[in-house]
Amino acid sequence: MSNDSILKTFLVTFLLCLVCSVLVCLAALVRIDREAYNQLLETRSTVLAAGGYADELDEGASEEELFSNFEMKMVNIDTGEFTSDINAEEFNPKDARDNPDMLVDIPAASDAAGIKQRLKYARVFVDKTNGQVVLPINGPGMWGPMFAYIGVQDDGTTVNGLKFYQQSETPGLGDKIAKPGFSNQWVGKKLYNDSGSLALEIVKNGKYDPNADDAKHTIDGLAGATVTGDKAQAIVEYWFSDHGYGKFLANYTKSKE
Amino acid sequence: MSKAKDALMDPLFNNNPIALQILGICSALAVTNKMSTALTMSIAVILVIACSNAAVSAIRNHIPNSVRIIVQMTIIATLVIIVDQMLKAYAYEMSKQLSVYVGLIITNCIVMGRAEAYAMKNPVYESLMDGIGNGLGYSLILLMVGFVRELFGSGSFFGLTILNPVNNGGWYVTNGLMLLAPSAFFLIGFIIWALRTWKPELQE
Repeated sequence: MSNDSILKTFLVTFLLCLVCSVLVCLAALVRIDREAYNQLLETRSTVLAAGGYADELDEGASEEELFSNFEMKMVNIDTGEFTSDINAEEFNPKDARDNPDMLVDIPAASDAAGIKQRLKYARVFVDKTNGQVVLPINGPGMWGPMFAYIGVQDDGTTVNGLKFYQQSETPGLGDKIAKPGFSNQWVGKKLYNDSGSLALEIVKNGKYDPNADDAKHTIDGLAGATVTGDKAQAIVEYWFSDHGYGKFLANYTKSKE
Repeated sequence: MSKAKDALMDPLFNNNPIALQILGICSALAVTNKMSTALTMSIAVILVIACSNAAVSAIRNHIPNSVRIIVQMTIIATLVIIVDQMLKAYAYEMSKQLSVYVGLIITNCIVMGRAEAYAMKNPVYESLMDGIGNGLGYSLILLMVGFVRELFGSGSFFGLTILNPVNNGGWYVTNGLMLLAPSAFFLIGFIIWALRTWKPELQE
C-alpha cells in the first residue's frame, strides 16, 4: 500500500491519534491523582506566609512543624461563629464553589469588588501559639480570579501577612502582588481605624509616606498596576465588611478578651 | 567518528541550535533568570526532543508525505503535554514558575526542525542521539546564560547566596538588567561572538 494513498493517510493519522490520546490521558490521570497532595502543600506554605512565619521558613524551619501550630476550623460567615456542621478536614473549597447549596449571593450594594458569590462557610486556620487567625479571601483581579490568605491577630485588626497564591495579573506588573515586596508591606498594618470602620487603603505607587498619620492603614501600590491594586483593595474591603468576616472577627476578639 | 557520535557531539559547539542556528531564543530569554528554572527547562527539552526524534524516526517509513508535519506536531505535542503534566504532579512549585514555557516547547523550532530535518531520514538510534545532542546544545547555552543572570542579577547560584546583595545586608549591588529578558540577548550575543572567534570556520 502506498504511503500517500488516502486509506493509508487516514489509517496512520487515526492510529497515531489513538496512541497519543491514550498517553495524554494517562499523564493527566497521574497529575489529577497528585492534585490533592500538591494543594495541601500549597495551602500549607500560603497559610504560613500569611501567618507571618516567612522569616522562620527562611531560616530553615520545617513547614510541617510550624503548620502543626495551626488548627483548621470552619466558620459560618453569616453568623460569624465557628461551626461543626462541616468537617474541616473533608472540606474542599474548590468543590464547594461548584455546589450551589454552599454559595451565597452578595447583594450588589456590598459588592463593590464584583465578587458576586461567596461560600457560606470558610475554612480558617487558628494559630494556637498566638491566637491569630488566617482567613481565605478571594475575588476578581484584572484578568482573572485572585485567591489569598490573610493573617489577622486576635485584636481583630492587626495584619500579620497577606499572601496571594493564585492570580493571573499582568506579568511583570500586576503579578508582583504575589511577591514578597508587596506582601511584606502588610505586616503590622491595621484593617480598622480607632472608630472601628474599615480604613485600609492601597495608594498609588510612590504616594506612600511612612511618616504620615495614616501610614498604618496605607499600603504602597504597584507601579503600572493601578487596577490590580484597586481590585485587591476592594477584595479586602469586602471580606472585612459586615457581610464578610466583620461579624466573625468581632465575635472572635470578644472571646479572646 | 561514527555517525551516532557525530550526531550527539556536533550540536554542542559546531552546530549549536541556539548559537549557530539561532533557534529556540524565546524560551532561552524567558526561563534563564534562575539556574533552577533553566535546568528544569533543559531537562524537559532534552526529554521531548530525544523522544520525538526517536518516535518520528521509528515510524518515518509509514508517515504519509502530505500530512508529515501534522504527524510530527502530534507526537511532539503529546510528549510536551506528558512532560508538563508530570511537572505539575511532581514539581508543582517549579511548574508554576515555568508557567506557559513548558507548554511552549511544542512551538520550539529546534524540536520540530530536528524531526523534519534529521529524524525523517535517519534510523532510530542516530535520531535519538541527534535529539539528545541538540537538547544538550540548547541546555549548554541555557545554563551558561542562567548562570550569569542569576549570579549578577540576584547574587546567587541555584538559590545559594554567593555575592551577598545589598538589600540582604551585604555589599553586592545587584544588576537589575540581568533579571530582565533583554540581558539574555546580550549574553547570547557574547556567546556567539566567543564561539565564532574560537572556531572561525563557523563564521558566515
